[in-house]
Amino acid sequence: MKAIPHKRSREVEAWLKRELVEQKRRYKKIVAEQDALAPKRDKWVAEFLQRIQTRGTHVHWDQMRKVRPEEIPVKPKRKFRVVF
Amino acid sequence: MARPHIEPFVDRDVPFKKMTLPGFPKGMQYKMLSIDTDNGACSMTVLFEPGYKQPPGMSYTEYELFIMTGSVTIGEKVHGPGSYVFVPAGVAIEALSSSRGATGLLFYNHGEPSFVESDSDHPRAERDRFASVNAYENMQWTSTNFFPATAPGCLVKVLRFDQRTHAFTFLYCMTPNFWQDNISYHDCVEEAYHIWGTSWMMQFGELPTGGYFWRPPYINHGAFGCKLGTLAIGRTDSQLYNHFHFNPWTNPEENQERAASRLLHRNPELYKWVNTHGHNHPIDFDYDHGHAQGDTPHHHGDGRVDHGHKKKKRRRR
Ligand SMILES: [Fe+2]
Repeated sequence: MKAIPHKRSREVEAWLKRELVEQKRRYKKIVAEQDALAPKRDKWVAEFLQRIQTRGTHVHWDQMRKVRPEEIPVKPKRKFRVVF
Repeated sequence: MARPHIEPFVDRDVPFKKMTLPGFPKGMQYKMLSIDTDNGACSMTVLFEPGYKQPPGMSYTEYELFIMTGSVTIGEKVHGPGSYVFVPAGVAIEALSSSRGATGLLFYNHGEPSFVESDSDHPRAERDRFASVNAYENMQWTSTNFFPATAPGCLVKVLRFDQRTHAFTFLYCMTPNFWQDNISYHDCVEEAYHIWGTSWMMQFGELPTGGYFWRPPYINHGAFGCKLGTLAIGRTDSQLYNHFHFNPWTNPEENQERAASRLLHRNPELYKWVNTHGHNHPIDFDYDHGHAQGDTPHHHGDGRVDHGHKKKKRRRR
């Protein structure tokens, strides 16, 4: 059983409403901050794609394999989103 | 839409607020980390002010409490840093107090926070699911038991494991100079809070002490790195399977489709059964048939998952 059915009071409904409004604001702030991180992220991604060809990528535990150049994915035209 | 993707969020950036929900005594403060838009389930950092006193009582939904600093006393038992308590819905705990104050994390899993004064359990309470442990003093670090596994240097202490859903709550640590050069996603929700330390992910950058995320399924995260070590608490809502890859630009839809395709290869017989059986609503002989609980999305061969049922006799095993 996940929860016991109960009736919510008006006070509780109002509290929830306030918290959801605040969360929306929090979410928007996160999206803006993450958008601003894009140049750094592009650099991290480029370094990652290099490393997995030289040192390798983790497959399981300490098992690694080197990725061949032709396996390296191409960046799609759509916007690079990390927050969904 | 359940809870949105909150990542990263650092609770040190916001002040505590007074808990004003009816039923809760004075002296409890909180920072909202994430909240479910449908049912009010939420995760919060909490502060019990010195002298906090709460009578015996229960909640309408199960909750998990983890103590980070200070201590609370429940009945006669002192719960210091590292203490973890899982309280099922309707289970009344003894009076709770904190003479010198405490900070912790409080997770309400299936509904908004509630507190009802009571010295006996609700008739529907499942007391046998109650759990309490001090993870710092009474548990050892172990390797993760996932296949495929995270890189060496990420250790866990499993605080709670749900045998049906494989949802689990765990402490994890990353050793200094931990690194893992792949991208991961899961079929489950993943949630975490940094008790101490800073780690790095290729998507989101650095997550410091007080850092938090609520990450819905199929969202890319990683590569990973940690310079000085990190101690954190994590949770999932179902089985955590590491879908590793190295394409930084895939989206959740593509990741989900890949996960389904991989299921076909990993569990071919099961996949075939689920995909071809007219009534794709498997019955688990360990549990009530889902129709009775109304918790299992399914269709009757017509692909219409959104349908109701007239009340009829329950199947018996
Ligand atoms: Fe993960």
